[in-house]
Amino acid sequence: MSKNRIEIWGDTVNPKELVLSILIISTTTMSAHLIAPADNRTMGLFFGLGGAVLGFLITVKLFKPKRIIQEEEEV
Amino acid sequence: MDASILIWMVLAAMMAVMLYTFIGFIPGTDETSVLLPISLALVLSGVEPIIILTFFIASIVTLNLTNTMPTALVGLPGGVMSSAMIEHSIHIKATGKAAETIKKMAAASFIGVLISVPVSLTLAHLLTPFAETIQPFAPWLFIIGAVFLSLISRQKLLSLFSILPLAMLFQSLRHLYWGLNVVPENTTITVSFFLGITIGPLLFTLFRLLNKDTLKSALISSDKTITLPKDIQEKRLNPFKILDKEERKHLSIGALIVNALFVLSPVGLTILIGETIGKRFKNRDDNARMSVITMSGVIQATYLSGIIIPLLALGIPLSPVALGPGAALFNAPPVLTLDNNLHHMLGFGEFTLAVVLGALIALSISYVLISRHAKTITRFILDHIPHESVLALFIAFILLLAFMDAGLINIFGVLLIGLFCGALNKMGVNYGVQFMSLYAAPHLLNLIVGGF
Repeated sequence: MSKNRIEIWGDTVNPKELVLSILIISTTTMSAHLIAPADNRTMGLFFGLGGAVLGFLITVKLFKPKRIIQEEEEV
Repeated sequence: MDASILIWMVLAAMMAVMLYTFIGFIPGTDETSVLLPISLALVLSGVEPIIILTFFIASIVTLNLTNTMPTALVGLPGGVMSSAMIEHSIHIKATGKAAETIKKMAAASFIGVLISVPVSLTLAHLLTPFAETIQPFAPWLFIIGAVFLSLISRQKLLSLFSILPLAMLFQSLRHLYWGLNVVPENTTITVSFFLGITIGPLLFTLFRLLNKDTLKSALISSDKTITLPKDIQEKRLNPFKILDKEERKHLSIGALIVNALFVLSPVGLTILIGETIGKRFKNRDDNARMSVITMSGVIQATYLSGIIIPLLALGIPLSPVALGPGAALFNAPPVLTLDNNLHHMLGFGEFTLAVVLGALIALSISYVLISRHAKTITRFILDHIPHESVLALFIAFILLLAFMDAGLINIFGVLLIGLFCGALNKMGVNYGVQFMSLYAAPHLLNLIVGGF
């Protein structure tokens, strides 16, 4: 198996997918924020958070968790 | 008060429970980063203050309860607070008692809330007469607070020496933005600086990985292996029956003490009280069990007292919880300012109603949900939510709030803060000292320049 994982904050990630995720969620967040009415701080924040959720869902679909999950055996 | 407000309060609490149950189970979700943007959005949207408070109390009760679950079940801390119990949780898992212990932890969390809500409301009530005397000294209190938190932290000298450089960093950015006409001179940027501090350690870690050699040496080949404990058949729900007498006693003492210590760091307090009580038990298994049970109750009490007492009695964010996750309830211009926030808008009766309602709704729903389905939810999150998405979401939150505070330039301003604060954090300067320095910065630098 090739070396393409790093451990950050107690869990493993693929650096390339991490960079892509950051790009995707940042893009959706900032685009949503910029299409909100410009003079309204509240709408700007809501649009931005909405964009963040959208980006989050896209990356959840695109990438798989890097975890091996086992169920404990009966003792 | 009319009935529609009451209905909205109940709905707000239920929304908070749904949202933060999900977030709480995701490993590594930092409390401040997930609580602040959403409470800020609510405040800015002009929602009634009493509904905001109900929502916020329900959020912290739910989050503190659910965060302990991935910690106990799979050994990944759900948030900053539960990282305090990670060692004990791993021991408990290794002895095969995880499933049994999480029920006890949830029960302990439940009792922690039941103790802390009345006690902190009473303490706040007792402190209120002194509020007018204390308030004019607020700028001084932040300076004293920064020094105090340094002196009780593990790295005293390092923390003390960090206060001034930190204050200079924050003020220099504010003056830079004023000088460049990025923001008007009466605007003091706080929120995004604050999140810069919170996300600091992550930014620092990621930035280091941009160095190719560092990245190369950090690369590993295997995924993280995670073991889920088997289910146990525990049908009881009464939290007083799930815990035995000794467990109830120790956790109650712990939860009681921390209410009076609301100015201290919640993580620090949790470790201090949990370990002190745990150490009374020499057997490693008992020691681990008693520590995590006590900590579960103490976590709730630190958060509840940390927000209730400063907000109800003073209106000044004088605790790490108020400075951090609860910041939007004190200061979210233009809606809330330090002279006109939830403290000034809500009477004692309304305040109490919001706190009790928020806490009770959150407890009853999330406690039952967790006691029955903790494992199923954890399994679902671990199977479907990649760690990449979680980390990237934080970065996007920061980008957004930085941009909203002061435009493009502030994205780099917040990066600067994140790198500096993250580096200090890795060296041992805790969040409390850093947050307090941010609030102390204007007055502290005036003192240095203008003399006493």
